[in-house]
Amino acid sequence: MLIYFAMGYRNFLIFFSVFILSGCDLIDYHPYDARVRTDTDINNKNIEEIERICENKDTLRFVLMADSQGFYDETRDFVRHVNARGDVDFVIHGGDIADFGATLEFKWVHDIMSELDVPYVALIGNHDIIGNGLYVYKEMYGELNFSFIAARTKFLCLNTNALEFDYGENVPDFNFIKSEQSADNGLYDRTIAVMHAKPKSDQFSNNVADYFQYMLKQFKGLMFCLHSHDHSLQAVDIFEDGVMYYGCSCMKDRNYIFIEITPEGYEYEVVYF
Amino acid sequence: MSMRLCIFKWLLLPVVALFSMSAYSQESLDAQGYRDKWNKLIPRYGKAQFAGSIGVFSFGPGWNYSKNRLETDILFGFLPKFSDTRARVTFTLKQNYLPWRVNLGEKWYFEPLNCGLFMNSIMNKRYWLSEPSKYPKGGYYKFATKVRFNIFVGQRFTFKTDRNGMRSVSGYYEISSCDLYILSAVTNKYLKPKDYLSLALGLKIQIL
Repeated sequence: MLIYFAMGYRNFLIFFSVFILSGCDLIDYHPYDARVRTDTDINNKNIEEIERICENKDTLRFVLMADSQGFYDETRDFVRHVNARGDVDFVIHGGDIADFGATLEFKWVHDIMSELDVPYVALIGNHDIIGNGLYVYKEMYGELNFSFIAARTKFLCLNTNALEFDYGENVPDFNFIKSEQSADNGLYDRTIAVMHAKPKSDQFSNNVADYFQYMLKQFKGLMFCLHSHDHSLQAVDIFEDGVMYYGCSCMKDRNYIFIEITPEGYEYEVVYF
Repeated sequence: MSMRLCIFKWLLLPVVALFSMSAYSQESLDAQGYRDKWNKLIPRYGKAQFAGSIGVFSFGPGWNYSKNRLETDILFGFLPKFSDTRARVTFTLKQNYLPWRVNLGEKWYFEPLNCGLFMNSIMNKRYWLSEPSKYPKGGYYKFATKVRFNIFVGQRFTFKTDRNGMRSVSGYYEISSCDLYILSAVTNKYLKPKDYLSLALGLKIQIL
C-alpha cells in the first residue's frame, strides 16, 4: 500500500506488470508437476562427448560422486573443486539426484552439475523414483539402464533400486545385462559396473544377488563395481570372489572417489573438498 | 479402509456433529431457524487460480466469516501430463487471513495483506501419506509425498458490482512456498527466492 501511495496509480500498475512478467521463473504448477524446464536426454548427449574425449586415450581419469539430494551448497563446491583440478575426464553421479523426487530438485542439481567443465552422466537412485521422479528422470536423463565405452572400458550403468518398483519391472534388468555382454564386442576389453544400491542392500533384489554377480562376471575383464546409496565410503569384496565394490559417500560428507585407469590396472583415491 | 475414506470421515464427522448440535441447541428451535443454520454452509464465493503449486488452473468454492477477515477455500486443481504418464487432479484446503481493507473510492477497495496456509494433496495412488509397508520400519523417507503444506502472502483488489448473485469481483496475486522447498532453502545458501517461491494469480467472485 505504501508503494501504491508513493508511486501513484499509473506507476504502480507499470511496476505491478513488470513484477508479474518477471515472475515467469516463479510459475510452479506443483512440486510434482513433472514439467522439465531444463535440458533433456542429458546422459546420451554427454556420453557422446565422453566417448569423443576419451576415444584415443589409454589412461582414463574419472570421478564417482552421488547423493546430491538436498546438498546443493556442497554439490556446487564439488563442481568448483573438480573444475579447479582439471585432470578429470568425466564425472559419474551415482544416483539420488533429488531428495523428495520433486521436479525442481532435479533442475537445481543439473544447473549445478552442468557448470562442470567435463561431461557427467547420472544414474537413477531410489529418491529419484518417489512421487513422479521416475518420469522426470527419464525425461531429463534418459533410460534407467545404459552403457558407454571410454578408452576401451565399458561402463555398465544399472538401475538396482528394486524396492521402488514392486517387482513390476525387471530390476536389475537381466535382458539388458545380457544384451550388453555381446554388444560392442570388439570395442572394449574391460568392464566397470556402476549402480546406485549395491547387492545385499535394502533396495537390491537380493533373491537374485548371486545371479547378478554371476552375470557381471561374464563381461570381458570385469575390473570392479561402483555404487553409492549408503552415504558412507566403502570398499568391500561383497561376494568374496575378488570383485571389489567401491562405494562413495553423499555430498554432505564433502568427498568423492577419483579413479585412474591405466593399461596396467587402476588406482583409487578418496578426495575431500 | 481406504486412506481417502478415512480422511474424509475425520474431516467431515466433527463438522457435521458440531453443526447439528449447535443448530439444535438454539432456545427457540423451529424449522426456519434450523434451515437458516444449515444455509450458512452454502459457499459464499468462488475462486479461480492460475499456478501457485496446486495445479495449472484450480477452481472451488469458499466461505468468508469473522467480519470478512477470514476465508476458507476448497480448490480442485488440474495438472496436465507433462512428462508424467497422465494428467492429475489435486485437492487444496486453504485458510486466508485478510486483516486490513483500504477503500479506494466508492467502487474499489484494496486488501494490502492476504496471508495464510494451504494444504495440497495430489490424487493418485502413487503418492503416500504414510509410507507403504514395503519400506523398512522406522521411516525410510520420513516425509509424505501426498500432502504438501504451504504458506503464502499476497494482495487483492476488489471491485464492488453490487449485483444480485455477484456482489463483487476481486483479482489477487500471492507468493507461496511449500514445506519441501522451504526445507531446501533453509539448508542451502545456493537456492535463491526465485528458485523456491511460487507465484499465483487469481479471481474471486463473491456471490452472497
